[in-house]
Amino acid sequence: MPRILLVEDNEMNRDMLSRRLVRKGFEVDMAFDGKAGVDKARGGAYDLILMDMSLPEIDGWEATRQLRAAPETKAVPIIALTAHAMAGDREKALAAGCNDYDTKPIELDRLLGKMAALLPASGA
Amino acid sequence: MSHSAPGSNPVAALRHDLRTPVNHIVGYTEMLLEDLEGPGNDARRKTLETTLEAAREALKLISLVLAPTRDSVEPAEVSGLYHSLEVPQRRILDAVRTLLAAAGEVPNPTFAEDLRKIEAAAARLVPREAPPTAGAANAGAADAAGKARVLVVDDEAGNRDLLARRLQREGYAVLAAAGGREALELVAKEPVDVVLLDVMMPDLDGLAVLERLKADPASRDLPVIMISALDDLSAIANCIQAGALDYLPKPFEPVILRARLAASLAEKRFRDQERDLVRALGVVTAAAASVEAGAYQAGQLGDMAQRADAVGRLARVMDRMATEVGAREANLRGRLERLRTEIGVARQTREVVARNDEDALGAGETFAGRYRVESVLGRGGMGTVYKARDTELDEVVAIKTLRPELVVDDESRERFKDEIRLTRRITHRNVVRTHDFGEANGLWYITMEFVEGLTVRQLLDARGTLGVGSALAIGSQLAESLGVAHETGVIHRDIKPQNLLLDPEGVLKVMDFGVARLATGTAARHTQAGLIVGTPAYMSPEQLTGEEVDPRSDLYSVGVVLFELLTGRLPIDGATVMALFAKVLSEPAPRPGSLVAGVPPALDALVVQLLAKRPEDRVENAAVLLQRLQALA
Repeated sequence: MPRILLVEDNEMNRDMLSRRLVRKGFEVDMAFDGKAGVDKARGGAYDLILMDMSLPEIDGWEATRQLRAAPETKAVPIIALTAHAMAGDREKALAAGCNDYDTKPIELDRLLGKMAALLPASGA
Repeated sequence: MSHSAPGSNPVAALRHDLRTPVNHIVGYTEMLLEDLEGPGNDARRKTLETTLEAAREALKLISLVLAPTRDSVEPAEVSGLYHSLEVPQRRILDAVRTLLAAAGEVPNPTFAEDLRKIEAAAARLVPREAPPTAGAANAGAADAAGKARVLVVDDEAGNRDLLARRLQREGYAVLAAAGGREALELVAKEPVDVVLLDVMMPDLDGLAVLERLKADPASRDLPVIMISALDDLSAIANCIQAGALDYLPKPFEPVILRARLAASLAEKRFRDQERDLVRALGVVTAAAASVEAGAYQAGQLGDMAQRADAVGRLARVMDRMATEVGAREANLRGRLERLRTEIGVARQTREVVARNDEDALGAGETFAGRYRVESVLGRGGMGTVYKARDTELDEVVAIKTLRPELVVDDESRERFKDEIRLTRRITHRNVVRTHDFGEANGLWYITMEFVEGLTVRQLLDARGTLGVGSALAIGSQLAESLGVAHETGVIHRDIKPQNLLLDPEGVLKVMDFGVARLATGTAARHTQAGLIVGTPAYMSPEQLTGEEVDPRSDLYSVGVVLFELLTGRLPIDGATVMALFAKVLSEPAPRPGSLVAGVPPALDALVVQLLAKRPEDRVENAAVLLQRLQALA
């Protein structure tokens, strides 16, 4: 069962997305801000991280950079979740070290497709 | 979300704030719909689908007004948007409250809790401080006794009391705050006409308070007079720059205090009027948009049309125009009346469909564990249609069993499932609702809404031709249903009189949306089996030749149907399918008017255009077709 870390500060988004992912067979762990996200990610072996980009404490961009700099998390795939489909956001996310990028509103099937592409084939 | 946003673009920020609750509504609703998969939950699922539809409508409105390409937006557009969002908001709240009130077993323990989350998100969709949507000019915040309300903000109690007492003597109602934060809280919850704001305060100084007031659309236009010692001129200059209307030097000179307050209040009244006008225009603009979308309801403009000013005049003109559109529709209803009479006549001559050896199911048989078969409704290229009682929901439904050769492999079944899933999203009074797709005893079937009525085929067989009025009544309802389906991404692919039902009220119901998809997909790979699917006489040239079809292929079929309604004949006919092929591809369609008298030239031309060989020569889409047909009615 792939282990996912969902870093998201909005309670409703977190509740909704985590429950829908659990139904799809993922094990989901959650962090509420960027700092907690980094701490959790470094402490646990996750198969993939879903990172909201606008977070309190440290934002998703910075959290991603820290995760990429740490040896134990530098290879974990990260998908950035942003609220705005702004031109350049995708490039910015990739430059910060994210593997892929998705915009809200989350379309579950689309996100699952991106996740599947980044997870080891045997995982799901 | 607490951390919205690249603040640099106000349109993006507002779009984000509005989309967030809608995203929550969509997410939770989709999740609940998953919970309600399976039998016995149809009613609740339908109600939730309303929620989903309304949320999508809200998203559409938001991205229409706050398009990503924009970086500024007029206040009138925003208030117009809020006004339009109230409609989906109401639908969502109604649906959720219906579900919360309904008794019955819940699919999981969090069902009600999740519904409350949807309710909360919907409540956030239109902010409570949104400007009132109709009504007379806001008379300002003056209290019941007509006194203007002044908020005095000063950290020093002595100054505050002195000023308050003086103002009360001048006939003002006074509110007081000892600091910046308290002042902002008061402004957010109490009506205030003018603020007297001390510059030097410990927690949040006058300039910071002023900046926040000016940044919030709800308090942006509230006049603020700074209170300051005269030696503090640079601070005063900063405040004026930040939007303060005036300043009042300490110690207060009663005459000056009175004059500046009076001037500020006059200014506020003027701004309120201006705002009201802008708001009113926003409402009228929103109403114009709903006329365009065909969703205008008589009286939607309400009090707006009662106003004596130019906006009122505009609202009245709008309402009249929209009502005229309504009158045209009423005209159409009149034609429907006549159609009903024709249906009544045809019905008496209708033959009863007898049981046939090919039928998979017999009357009285229970199918798929819940449907009790009552009778055969008809047979076609795809299979047999039965009338049955859904014993689970105690509802009459129609069941179409599919010929086994159509559902041979997983791939066509999966694609067909996708199509049915799409089709289930179409809710329209002119579309027969599709319920489910399933398999029982090796037989694949679709269940759908049962419509008591006649097919247009039966009507044509009984009456020969239907005349211009009835053709228009049928044609425009058909165009309306196709418009909705095409927008949802569903192409019918098999529009023909057999698939058009008329209920006893004369309302047209188009059935088998998406069903032909199964046939086209399968037939492409099973031509050797000699399987003939669809009805070549109604197919567009591109469909006949097996090319990719788009919505305009359905419009060709509408052309064939209209031609037949008017003349009782097909525009192009052939003794064999091959002969038909050749003619459809090469021979131009005749004008209906060349065969029968009394066809208006505009209708003649429209039918010919629908029957154009090249899709790009036809009417561009179903909405345009609807307009053209309505213009003829």
